[in-house]
Amino acid sequence: MPSWPAETKYISHATARIDGAAKVTGKARYSSDIQANGWLYGMILRSKWPAAKITDINLDKALQVPGIKAAVLSRGKEMTIRYYGEEIAAVAGTSKQACLDALRAIEVTAQPLPFVVRENDAIKSDSPRVWENAANYPAPRVRQNGDVDTAFGQCAAVIEGSYSTPIQIHNPMETAGNTVSWTDEGVTAWSSTQGISSVRDGLAGSLKLDHSKVRVITEYMGGGFGAKFGPGVEGVLAAKLSKEAKAPVRLMLTRFDQALAVGNRPSSFQKIKLGAAADGTFLAFEAENYGTAGIGAGGDGGGGGGGADIPMPYLYKVPNTRVKQAAVAVNAGSARAFRAPGNPPASYGIESAIDDLAVKLGLDPLEVRLKNDPNKIRQREYALGAEKFGWKQKYKKPGSSPGVVKTGIGCAGAAWPAGGASRNTHGEASINPDGSIEFRLGVQDIGTGTRTVIAVVAAEMLGLKPEQITVKVGDTRFPPGPGSGGSTTCASISPTVHNICTKALEQLQTLSGLADARGANWFAACKKIGISPLLISGQWVEGLSSSPAGGVQFAEVEVDTETGLVTVKKMLGVHDCGLIIDTLTLESQINGGIIMGMGYALYEERVMDDLSGVMLNPNFETYKLPGIADVPEIEVVLINMPERGVIGIGEPATVPTAGAIANAVANAIGVRVGSLPITPAKILAALGKVPPATA
Amino acid sequence: MKAFQYATAHSTASAQQLVADKGAYIAGGNDLLGLLKEYLVSADTLVNIKSLPGLGKIEHGKSFWTIGALVTVAQIEHDADIQKTFPGLHEAASDVASQQIRNVATVGGNLAQHSRCWYFRHRDIKCLKKHGDLCYARQSENRYHSLFTGNDCISPVVSSLATTFAALDATAIVLRDGKELRWSMAELYAEAFKNPLAHNSLQPGDLILRVEIPTSRNRSAFSQVSEKHAFDWALVSCAAAAEVVDGKLKSPRVALGSVSNMPHEVAAANEFLDGKVLDDAVATQAADLILKGAKPLQMNAYKVPMAHALIRRTLLKLKGDV
Repeated sequence: MPSWPAETKYISHATARIDGAAKVTGKARYSSDIQANGWLYGMILRSKWPAAKITDINLDKALQVPGIKAAVLSRGKEMTIRYYGEEIAAVAGTSKQACLDALRAIEVTAQPLPFVVRENDAIKSDSPRVWENAANYPAPRVRQNGDVDTAFGQCAAVIEGSYSTPIQIHNPMETAGNTVSWTDEGVTAWSSTQGISSVRDGLAGSLKLDHSKVRVITEYMGGGFGAKFGPGVEGVLAAKLSKEAKAPVRLMLTRFDQALAVGNRPSSFQKIKLGAAADGTFLAFEAENYGTAGIGAGGDGGGGGGGADIPMPYLYKVPNTRVKQAAVAVNAGSARAFRAPGNPPASYGIESAIDDLAVKLGLDPLEVRLKNDPNKIRQREYALGAEKFGWKQKYKKPGSSPGVVKTGIGCAGAAWPAGGASRNTHGEASINPDGSIEFRLGVQDIGTGTRTVIAVVAAEMLGLKPEQITVKVGDTRFPPGPGSGGSTTCASISPTVHNICTKALEQLQTLSGLADARGANWFAACKKIGISPLLISGQWVEGLSSSPAGGVQFAEVEVDTETGLVTVKKMLGVHDCGLIIDTLTLESQINGGIIMGMGYALYEERVMDDLSGVMLNPNFETYKLPGIADVPEIEVVLINMPERGVIGIGEPATVPTAGAIANAVANAIGVRVGSLPITPAKILAALGKVPPATA
Repeated sequence: MKAFQYATAHSTASAQQLVADKGAYIAGGNDLLGLLKEYLVSADTLVNIKSLPGLGKIEHGKSFWTIGALVTVAQIEHDADIQKTFPGLHEAASDVASQQIRNVATVGGNLAQHSRCWYFRHRDIKCLKKHGDLCYARQSENRYHSLFTGNDCISPVVSSLATTFAALDATAIVLRDGKELRWSMAELYAEAFKNPLAHNSLQPGDLILRVEIPTSRNRSAFSQVSEKHAFDWALVSCAAAAEVVDGKLKSPRVALGSVSNMPHEVAAANEFLDGKVLDDAVATQAADLILKGAKPLQMNAYKVPMAHALIRRTLLKLKGDV
């Protein structure tokens, strides 16, 4: 069984990103920077109706716009529109303005249909159907354990609460999109994707091409968060435009497009009943939840989306549970995987309920968690975090903080029960007689530091420096690897690189007769390679990675009880992910997860207009993301556990933030705001300060 | 956006001639370019007014100061004399948008900016303000909208500078047909208060030249609350100004922003405050008077207690307590 070195120089230490300089100087070419020879702009005409029957689409006038080289339909001249922003057609031209003019010249004949965009309207049996042949709101699935009704009777305290979470939109810095070149030889796509292989397969399938005829390249990409695994409608349209125009087409979505049609995190409307014994031990849990994945729920089997179910009662061991869940369809863009799918809403719901119950029982909410969380590592993390955070000194009875601006603290637990590694991860390295070495892996860097991880592991294994390792990723011509999702990349590539290095050293030692080809002997050993480089192939091996990762987070907030403004003063995250590869990129990822969780807690929300069916905030003006002024001091404490091997961290870092902040707010003001985002308006309403509407 | 001609004016007369009926003035362009790109405004000519002489200066007179229409928000923010003489104006300027925007945004453009209502700004909504027949916000998503209005449109004026100028009793000088009109802030927005199609009282071709601020009020203050801590519109803003003599307010003025389609001022409150020594009770009574008659809707009623708190705080800032 292979193992990681016990003493390390780079692994578990801080290494700056090997491509950091390229990124900050603009040398790194992102997918949206690609300018293939003779490229054209591509743009999409989207539906202005939330629901409609389109009976004709005429592209003639668009094709007459000067500079326009191609126009294609999304599906056909007749189509049913199910949400505002759905793709109707696309154009390619020599300038942005030509494309904009062409989109306005496309004639669409349509009959608007009734629509429903809000979950609480869509659950009504007489709401307009999103899919003709399926109810918007199917009967909930029920999952039961034990005897809930009897158990509630035995509880010392029972709380019932409503906790809801909004639709959150994926807003990576780089929007979704591709440059696609379709020639007689095949298709090349420079894609902003977190899965080059899945984009290749998706394009090949949609375009009816051999997989071998499609090449996907993603040298650098600006984030995905789960929404960028496939080519998307926009990728397929770019390919069709390229074929018709006989030129590469760059079709990057605008921020407006991004908000409507390429994924989101489903909403949740959770009703939770939780009961415990006097000592805080949970006895019974009952929950009803529904949420929407847009048109992705209730569908005809063709609808996308991942449903809207969440894990309940999430991390906690409760002997008697009954959970009813259903997804409701609405006329809005479909959900996609979003950083820890299902987990952040689940965490917000249960962690809020736990604090509400602890208050009722007169117990410290941290103690209640320690009593009911079966995970030993999190127990350790809570103890460590509480110490660092000063939990015991800071915890006060809810609402007891004096003055107008009240302080409060809260905590919550993180998990990512999936994770692990992809066994089907391959890679290769060319080693040259001059000692230079290049790794090639068919993975991509979603922005978390994939190249750096490969360089750190290789440097450690070979006794070199990370900057001596050349790393190439993001090309389907390289040995295949997994998509960057589910917190699996690090645990997939680290063992793969380990395997390549182990084989390389064996061969070099045989070739050179040296007992150890590492470090000081490396260049001497490489001199024996001869004229052709040594090519070493390797793959993921058992024993060097595991799962799952976890953690806990603590929040301290100030709430202005007159204006309702919440200010996060401090966040502390204590996280574990097995053997840490690079502390610097790891901390960076946890910072990012916490900031994203702050957005979920306090600012972000897709707002749909029920009169017109449009999304009202498809922009950064009113879809609010945390800015630098909103971000507090973030302290990250890492627990290194080499004995567990490598584990990814992407998902758990963002899971508990909203729950911890929501609990801190409730602790500050003494009442619960039962829905995210926690805005000033909701704070003032929870405090009973808002008068009734009169107009 | 639609194609347009571009011209640079070197005198106000040529600017007005170039802009004619269908043109638009451009200085910082923050608002105009967004409107053009979303096809919410069309202009056959953009007249660059940044080279107009004399409009980029802050001038210190004895009884009033003059702020040229081309003075940027950042200039106001960083001007030490402004901070000393009109601290409220300094605070208001510092809270506008982001540093990058403040660097190019001008006083004239800030005052003339169009509604930020998300229905008005939406490319596929034809609301009352765009010659439609319905104020969508009234019936649907009105969390950011007005508590007071003189017509069916409830999109508020969001210019924090306008709110502060109102409290300072500043005058906007507007060039129309070669003549200078002198408008109070109330007059600058009176048309928006009564006419759903209007964003202010400016007519095509009207050009804001400068703002004159009387120096008689030696104390001023501004506060706003947004959902975020920076680079976010005010949910409510409040400005107050007065001369403070022996602890007593003289000629006090209070104005609210983001609650009405003009800066919201209540004469009865200003009269009530005149001659008073500020304390919690006085500030509370003034706040009650200012919010009297507020007509909260389904989602914006929170603005009533929020505005109440801001009025009290801003008034107490005049006293120098906060």
